[in-house]
Amino acid sequence: MGKKGSEFFPVIFLTLVVLISVVALTFTDSITRERIGAAEEEEIREMLGEIFQAMNSFTYNEEEGLYSVLKGNETIGYAFRATGKGYGGDMSILVGIGDNFAVTGIELLSHQETPGLGAKIVEPSFQEQFVGLTVDEIALSQNGGKVDAITGATISSSAVVDTVRGALLEKLSLLKEGG
Amino acid sequence: MMHAWLKNLAKGIIRANPTFILLLGLCPTLAVSTSLDNAVGMTGAVLFVLFAANLIVSLLRNIIPERVRIPTFIVIIATLVTIVDLVLQGFSPALSKSLGIYIPLIVVNCIILGRAEAFASKNSVANSIADALGVGLGFGWAIFLISLIRQVLGTGALEIFGIHLFTIPGFSATPAAIFMLPMGAFLVIGLLLALFRWLGVIEGD
Repeated sequence: MGKKGSEFFPVIFLTLVVLISVVALTFTDSITRERIGAAEEEEIREMLGEIFQAMNSFTYNEEEGLYSVLKGNETIGYAFRATGKGYGGDMSILVGIGDNFAVTGIELLSHQETPGLGAKIVEPSFQEQFVGLTVDEIALSQNGGKVDAITGATISSSAVVDTVRGALLEKLSLLKEGG
Repeated sequence: MMHAWLKNLAKGIIRANPTFILLLGLCPTLAVSTSLDNAVGMTGAVLFVLFAANLIVSLLRNIIPERVRIPTFIVIIATLVTIVDLVLQGFSPALSKSLGIYIPLIVVNCIILGRAEAFASKNSVANSIADALGVGLGFGWAIFLISLIRQVLGTGALEIFGIHLFTIPGFSATPAAIFMLPMGAFLVIGLLLALFRWLGVIEGD
């Protein structure tokens, strides 16, 4: 068992280091997991609250990817995540719809658009244009819709429009089917 | 003894500054230096990982087998970084979101692996701690300065952790957004390097 001379000592040593690492990470995971989950849920709750001011609570149907927004026991709307490609990368948008299936609001969850140009899609003046639109009206005004593109950021603007509309069409068929 | 310790601490701050002199770990520096919040968050993460990695490597320096020293360093650093990442996600989700991929990427930040290999694996625990603090603070003031310039020029205003410090009237409506882009980072760091050289802080060849 000559320590440094042994052929196998490096192997045993590295295995031990990895084992200690696994224990440390498992421990960290066990104390942070709950908080990470809670932080994510809190973020969704805050964003849903922005879209539905009257919300008291919400439920999430994982299979359909649909949040049902409740006021008391009454469903006042639905929300879902829409994902699509922007100018700089993937974007993820939380879309809220009322019980008449018109949009009640959108919130950007994440995006990678150019700061100062495409990143203006997070501004209320752009997002508020979506409020009250039905699925057919969600298009840029240059294409006959009701959303004005941001100057200098047509691609980012149309990415938001396409993402919202695509996901809405998909969810509408789901909702209308389910009655 | 104390003198040597202070020398090791001071070295990383100016004379062997990782960002401005050694030009190490530039990828995260360029990418996240868009706001003071990011600079503080990134410095905290790097300082913690650097400190703990130097400490552990220095403690184990006589038993780490020569042949597997680099994999050992990487496992130690990756473990520390993952701990930071999980803790940030749990306790500061906003900061974690804004630093994004650059926290996991600290694993391959050459400042940390560099200090483990070049210093901590050959020096005492006390000196390795001094080295980690010095290099960490050197990285910290560098990224803070770059972020300050980019945030002011790129947004026309300055705020830190939600506290509004000032707005430049007339400029904040149409700021020079280029400074928020990657090319703005290259411009700022290049001009700073030129300035330091001109002032004689960085010695020429």
